Order: sequence, then C-alpha cells, then structure tokens
Amino acid sequence: MRPTVKGRIAVFHPQGFLDGNNAPSFLTIDDIKATESLNIDMLLVSLKKVIFFNKNGLDVFIRLLDSIRSHKHIAVGLCDYDSAKFITINKFYGSNLTFSLFRTEKIAELFVPTNKNDSKTVLLYNEDASQRSAMAIELFDYGHNPVIAQSKKEFEEKKQNPDLYYAIIEETYLGLFGQKIATRVTGNAIIYTIANFLDAEITNTFNIAYHNNSLNVGFRLFIFDAYKVVSMNVHALNFFTKLASSAAEYNASICFVGLTFEKTPQSFKNDLEDAGIMFFDQMEDILKNKDLLQELGGSSASASKQVRTLTKALINELPGFIDATVSTIAMMTNAQAVKESMNIQTLEIKNAAHQYASSIGFYGDLDGMIILIFPKDIAKKACSLLIGEDSEDEEAILDSLAEFVNIIGGRAKALLGEKKNRVDITLPRTYADVNSLMEMAQNKKGVQVNLRFEGSNFIFFLTR
Amino acid sequence: MVTQEQILLYIQNIPPAPFVVKQTLDYVRVGDLTKAAKCAEEDPALKLYLRTLVNRPIYGFRNEVSDLSQIFSILGISTAQQILYNYLMTLLAPKEWGLFNLSSQAFYDLQASLSRKWAKILTHLNLLNHDNESAITLLPASIIVCDALFGEYKSEVEQLRSVKALDYNTILHRLTKMSLFDICTEIALKWEISPAISRIVHASSGLDQELEANDKILAQWMHLLLFYELSQSTYVEAGLNEFVEFQIEFVQEIYESFMQVVEYDETNG
Repeated sequence: MRPTVKGRIAVFHPQGFLDGNNAPSFLTIDDIKATESLNIDMLLVSLKKVIFFNKNGLDVFIRLLDSIRSHKHIAVGLCDYDSAKFITINKFYGSNLTFSLFRTEKIAELFVPTNKNDSKTVLLYNEDASQRSAMAIELFDYGHNPVIAQSKKEFEEKKQNPDLYYAIIEETYLGLFGQKIATRVTGNAIIYTIANFLDAEITNTFNIAYHNNSLNVGFRLFIFDAYKVVSMNVHALNFFTKLASSAAEYNASICFVGLTFEKTPQSFKNDLEDAGIMFFDQMEDILKNKDLLQELGGSSASASKQVRTLTKALINELPGFIDATVSTIAMMTNAQAVKESMNIQTLEIKNAAHQYASSIGFYGDLDGMIILIFPKDIAKKACSLLIGEDSEDEEAILDSLAEFVNIIGGRAKALLGEKKNRVDITLPRTYADVNSLMEMAQNKKGVQVNLRFEGSNFIFFLTR
Repeated sequence: MVTQEQILLYIQNIPPAPFVVKQTLDYVRVGDLTKAAKCAEEDPALKLYLRTLVNRPIYGFRNEVSDLSQIFSILGISTAQQILYNYLMTLLAPKEWGLFNLSSQAFYDLQASLSRKWAKILTHLNLLNHDNESAITLLPASIIVCDALFGEYKSEVEQLRSVKALDYNTILHRLTKMSLFDICTEIALKWEISPAISRIVHASSGLDQELEANDKILAQWMHLLLFYELSQSTYVEAGLNEFVEFQIEFVQEIYESFMQVVEYDETNG
C-alpha cells in the first residue's frame, strides 16, 4: 500500500480489519522505500475505514512511522478516528505515545507548512494544559489563530457555534512534534519560526526542500521570526550565510526579526549582514511597511529583477511536458486536448476574471515551472474525477486542480528521469484570481501553448 | 482510461453460460440431483472442478469422493447451486491476473471462504434459502471485472491514487457512470441468474438507497464479509483491499454480531 500525498502530508488509508496477522501485508519493502523517499513533513495512518484494529496491527504501522520520524525529523501519527478509537489508542499506548493523534486529516493539515496564505481560526481544547499550550504554539507558528478553551465547560459553550471556526480541535495529541521549524505564509512572504539555541541541528530541522520549493515557485521574501532565539553558534551562522548565498541567486531577501545579540557574538551579526541578511526589531516593521515590503520582494512574487531565460535543454523537453499534460487530461476525462498554437512570449491571458490557474515548479538537473490556466468550468470538468459530485465549492475545485497539476508534475518528473535528468517537483500552487499569478509571471518569457478541450481553450505555459 | 464503450464491449464478450452447466443448474433448481449429476458428467472441466473442490480439506472427507452423483448428494441443492455458480465465475476469471496480484488458487480460496462464511451468516440470520445462499457467488465477479477493465491502466490508477485515495469502483463510476456492481448485474442477466441475487450483490456495494429490509440486512453482512476477507494477508498483498470503498457506517450496527458469527479472535497476531 502506498500513501496518498496531499501538500506536505502523506496518508496511508487501510480498510477493514487491522491485526498483527495482516498488517505487515499492507507494507511491502517497496512501499516502505517509496514512503521514505517522499518529500513530506507529516506521515499519517488514517483509521477512517478501519472497523477493527488491535495493538499488534497498529504496531506494524507505528514502527514504520517511528523509524521515518527519527531519521527524517517529520511529524508522524494517526488520524481520522472517532471517540471510541481515540480511547482505545490511548489505552494501547498510554503515556508512551511518541506519535501524534489528529482527529481528522483537516486538523493535521493545520500543523504543516503550506504555500497558501490562509490563517484559520480554530477552537482548541485539551484537558492537559501542556498539550493545549504546545498545540496553540504550533498553530500560531503555522500562521493560524487558535481560540483556546481553558475548561471543558468553556469548550462546550464555544462548540455551540461551529460556524465560527474552521475546525474544532479535540481528542488530538501532539507526540514528538515540532522538530521541524514551523513555517507560515503571509502575503508573499514566508515566515520561519526559530527558537532557543541554534546549532548544527538546524540543518536537520530546517526544511530546505520546502525553502527551495518556495524559491522556485516565486517567493522572494523569507523572514525568520527569531524572538525566541537565545543564541546561536558558528554552525548555525554558517547555515544562514549559505542560505543567504543561495537566496541571492534568486534575488530573494532574508530577514531576521526580533533577534537579540546579548548572548550571540556581535561579529555574527556583521557576518550575517555581509551575507545579505537584514535585521528588524518587529515583524510589523516589515509587514506594515508597504515600500519596504515592495523592495524586499514581499509585496508580490514578481520582485525578481533577474529574469531567468528559457534554456535549450528546457525547450527540448517541451513535447514531453505537453504530452504529460494532454495525457493526464485524457486519463482524467477520457477526452482529448488538442494543441492549437504555440509561441515563445510572455504569458497572455484573455478573460482573466473567469479563469483558474495552477503552477508547479521543478528543480534539479533542469529547472522551470509549468503553469496551467483554465476557464473555470473547464477546470471543474478536468478535475471531475477527483472532485466527484458536481461541486461549486471553489476551495474544493482549487484543491483538485492542485492534485491535477501534481500528477502532471509527477509525470514530467518521470519523463525527465527516463532521460537521466533528476528533478524534484515543488508543491503545486493554485490561483483563484489569475491576476496574482500575473504579478509573478508577467515579465517571464516562456512557451505559451494554447490547447483546446471540450470546446474551450486553456493555456499551458512553460517558463523559468 | 476506462470508457463506457470498453464496458459495453466487455459485457458483449461475456460468454453465455455453457449449455451443460445451464442444464445442470436447471436440474438442481428443481431438486433432481441425480439428473444434475448425469448432466454434469458431460462436461469434463466441470467434473474435474467438482471433484477437486469436494475433496479439499474444507469438506473433511477421509477418502476421495469421485462419483458425481455422490458429490451432488453430499452437496445438497443449495450448495450445489452455489458451487455451479462459483464454477461459472471461474470461467470468467482470467488465466493471468493483470491488476491484482492473484493466482487462480487464491481466487478459488476466496470463493470458498466467502461461501462457507456466508452460509454461517445466513444460518445466523435465519435467511437460508437457495437464492440467498447463491448470492455470494456473484460477488467475486466484481473483482474479475475490475481486473479486466483496469488491468491495462495500472500505472494511471497508481498516479491518481498518489494524490487521492480513490478506489476502483469510484474511479469507474466517475468516469463512466457505471459501477463494478452494475456490471455484475449485467453478468447475472446474461447468465440468467435470479434478479434477487443480483439485487443483493448490487446493494452490497453499500451505496444503494431505499433498500427493502431483508435486502439491506443481507447487503450489510455481505459488505462486511467482503472486507473481512479482503483484509486477509493474501488479498491485501494482492491489492484487493483498495478495490472498493469500505462503507463503515453502513455496517456499524451489525459489527458486534458479525464478529461473533465469524468467530473473530481479537487478539489475532
């Protein structure tokens, strides 16, 4: 069994009965290897479709989760259970719970970085005050707005108004968590929260793949929320200077906010400044200063002054990328998309108001970005296999569009792999408003291919 | 991926039930097991199937039983009908499985295990009759159909499943508006299997609405039995655990009784 990957979470979905006899059959060696190679921040086992489980059965999955957690520093756990299952799990593992428990997958998603800029208001309660605080801190660090109920009574009262909250978090537990640096998106800036003493361990806890993803999909401002940092050593200093050099290639800015130098040598600050890192006292100094934000690249994702040009190697792969797109559409709809025209140009979109867009980047031996722009009704049709029922829910359509481009990205990666070009793909990004895509892509030259599908046109754009 | 045209072609190509099997079934239905045995003698493949089956450890005979009339009288009317339907299914099953990692033997074992437990369930429910007993034989047709339709699209389904936990039945329905269970109904129609049987099997998807009380009970038990079997190591390894979606809410109310009837040992493993 392979896990399903959504954003930065991978989830196993076993069905039926799970005991010590059958559980090892769910995970072949290939499945384990494939899971270990995933670029994710959280690995979960969903119990939604499991009607019976015993400890021996769960242990098989928990062993895999524990092993992956210990060498990849990601959060692991179980999700999608009801109250009865929650009680049973606690009975099985008691105080030895090393993994996390998320009542739903939707709750788990709040505890990982995304590239969406959407702060969610959630109601939170846990009998254990330390768990309550730990969850609140994590949620806050990931950019959400937790409303913490201090007592069961208060929680039950607040729960009466579920419409006020994106999610109600109960029967949830954070195991060995928070090993990765929390990440959130504000506008077009990425904020990393760092704390305590920073040493060589930062190379493990900082999610460099996510950072590279963000650079490749057009983020240009990275802020380290360093209010809680006590001090750092030379290993951490080296890490940040290297990060600053790689950011410079993308014309990206790195800032530290709230870092004090009482216990950190002042010379470190000079070294970091020499590497291009800027220091601010308050987060508001950046986020509320529009001119500064513009200068640093955080007002839009278009701040890159160096326009990266298409390369011959990339253009050589164009037929493969188009084929990956067309064949994915054929797979999902049983209808053919036909190429109508192709030009090297900047992105040109007609009727922008009635379109959805999505993008996925790739980097490695080759780097670039595939952008797809669909009329809204065509986007719905293209994703109908993933959405299922006729949905008008914009978030569901955009989520499916992200899954759709993820498949295309996966196919493009496989295609390049066949030619010995190793690449990684970024998280897909979707745009309900195509204008925000244009801010990022308007100056980029690329190959625009106009395709026709089900009587309407859509755009494939390959750029760097 | 799979299209409506492919499904229609698949249904068109389902061979009719062989004449000898059909006639044997007719004799069994009217309770004439002697004539049924005589008729079955004319089909060597059927004869071999019945002999091999009855002499498997499950039936517990010390000496080999080879005489067909003896075999039919051992089986009785209901079981004979059930086994003849199981035989029909094996004719539909592929020699080489494309999608699922199954062998012919593993498929026979699945048929046998489903049939045995289904009989226990019907006894428990006090709903034992010829049609009810035979209903379970049509269920594995859904697995055969799934393998036939998706065999050539294995990598496409894997890609799809890498981003969303979709089962084969849902994928097929969203693509073609036909489910695996709809196709089972078509097979039943072609093989003149009682509509009562195909109705129960269709409902065992757990997705049908407005079921009659008895049909609902049978469908719930069949759905849970299917997932009980598909949770066995052999079938998990074969990839069958993911072939239809387990409707946990549909079977929740019968779960406790089911565990008792199948004598499930909760400390397994």
